[in-house]
Amino acid sequence: MKREIGLRREVIVDNDIAIDVKNLHKNFKLPTEKAAGLKQAIFNRMRGVKGYKNQRVLKGLDFSIKKGEFLGIVGRNGSGKSTLLKILAGIYYPSKGEVVVNGSLVPFIELGVGFNPELTGRENVYLNGALLGFSNREMDAMYDDIWEFAELKEFQDQKLKNYSSGMQVRLAFSIAIRAKGDILVLDEVLAVGDAAFQQKCNDYFASLKEHGQTIILVTHSMDNVKKFCTRAIMIEDGKIVANGDPKEVSEKYLNLFK
Amino acid sequence: MNIPNVLYRKNRILLKELTKTDFKLRYQGSVLGYLWALLRPLLMFAILYVVFAKLLRFGGDIPHYPVYLLTGTVLWSFFTECTTQGIQAMVHRGDLIRKIAFPKYIVVVSTTFTALINLMINLVVVVLFALLNGVTPSWTWLLVPVLVLELYCLALGVCFLLGAINVRFRDIASIWDVLIQALFYAVPIIYPVTMVANSSTLAAKIILLNPIAQVIQDVRYSLITTESITGWNFLGSPILMAVPVAIVMIILVWGSVHFRKQSKFFAEEI
Repeated sequence: MKREIGLRREVIVDNDIAIDVKNLHKNFKLPTEKAAGLKQAIFNRMRGVKGYKNQRVLKGLDFSIKKGEFLGIVGRNGSGKSTLLKILAGIYYPSKGEVVVNGSLVPFIELGVGFNPELTGRENVYLNGALLGFSNREMDAMYDDIWEFAELKEFQDQKLKNYSSGMQVRLAFSIAIRAKGDILVLDEVLAVGDAAFQQKCNDYFASLKEHGQTIILVTHSMDNVKKFCTRAIMIEDGKIVANGDPKEVSEKYLNLFK
Repeated sequence: MNIPNVLYRKNRILLKELTKTDFKLRYQGSVLGYLWALLRPLLMFAILYVVFAKLLRFGGDIPHYPVYLLTGTVLWSFFTECTTQGIQAMVHRGDLIRKIAFPKYIVVVSTTFTALINLMINLVVVVLFALLNGVTPSWTWLLVPVLVLELYCLALGVCFLLGAINVRFRDIASIWDVLIQALFYAVPIIYPVTMVANSSTLAAKIILLNPIAQVIQDVRYSLITTESITGWNFLGSPILMAVPVAIVMIILVWGSVHFRKQSKFFAEEI
């Protein structure tokens, strides 16, 4: 099957645009029959059946983000937010259109990517750090701080499978926030843990905002949109239906459910 | 295109860490641990030695036959391990591919590196065995790394090509498992090429066109005994001698190009 492919470019240019998205489309070719194996593929070809259907998830998005903006992206489940996020992060390729990322982009789409239950906490920290681009030596330098922040120091030599899920997420979060980039892409799953740890996370977001970090936040919490964001975008059925003041956009979002 | 240098540094760090993790995890939870990297080919060798050298008397007049056999099994184990793990690497690391953006070849290369490390350890054993067996060291030993590199390129090419197809059609891994069993008998590991050559020169020539056979025979020639039949002392024509190397290059280039093209869609297909 032939697939269309758009462009995603990473550049370093001295202007005030952090991300520029033009006419962005994303289609997924989903297999229509259950068995997506070689046998089905051959049968389908022989019978002249297309073995997939074209799912249009993003239908032409246009927007740009300026440096220093804290942009909220809202929309109901299945509206295409996560797909957009994954395209910005370079995990998916656009089907059509163009995405230009100016500077280094650090995505926090999921915490603890690559965490392995069979490895110790210590080993997982180094592995997860490598996924964020930190060398062993850089990890050595921040190693104690990570455990300090996670409040899990006494467990560092235990295997990860003996951690509770809350402990794992706290460790993952403590590593994730070490990542430094020009643009941070945050999925809301980041606000994790008990009330005390939540507070720590919120303080972290607030400090990022203070430092003028460029951030994209995908969330369902309109409180957070109003508290942190300088601008918000609402996506509905693969299209942008609102773009502007966080208060107005969150009103519009809440009206969806009335 | 303007790709910052930091990205290349990131890839190196990631490759190193993934290789380390892969190596650690492979023997996780086993009592003997890393020792298995050594024990597996040695035990396989022991079985083959008892069956083919002692019971069936395949070794015949080949000098240092045990080392000759061990060399073959070690190189073959490497090729099998490297390809079976490498083809599955993308599927096994699906969690990473779905969630972060990085060059996908790193996953394949890190897995093959683990196999390569195992091969290095095993080759040390082969050399020790050779010395104990009375093989005299020679300058031709220096050719072995080049030959290993050739075999590695072939394995990597296979991993790229079949690994990319395996993302969509998981049948590939199973087909390869069967194919590699068949391939084992097409490569002169347990039987000497001389045995084939005695009954059919043509068959022996065809066997030697296979790059795996060519590498194994060449390593045996340069490491153990000049009485080994190799492509260049048996095939006769320079064009035929170039065939195995050409096969390796075609598979590596074809595999890398195909992998590179397909890798943009791995995240949504895996």
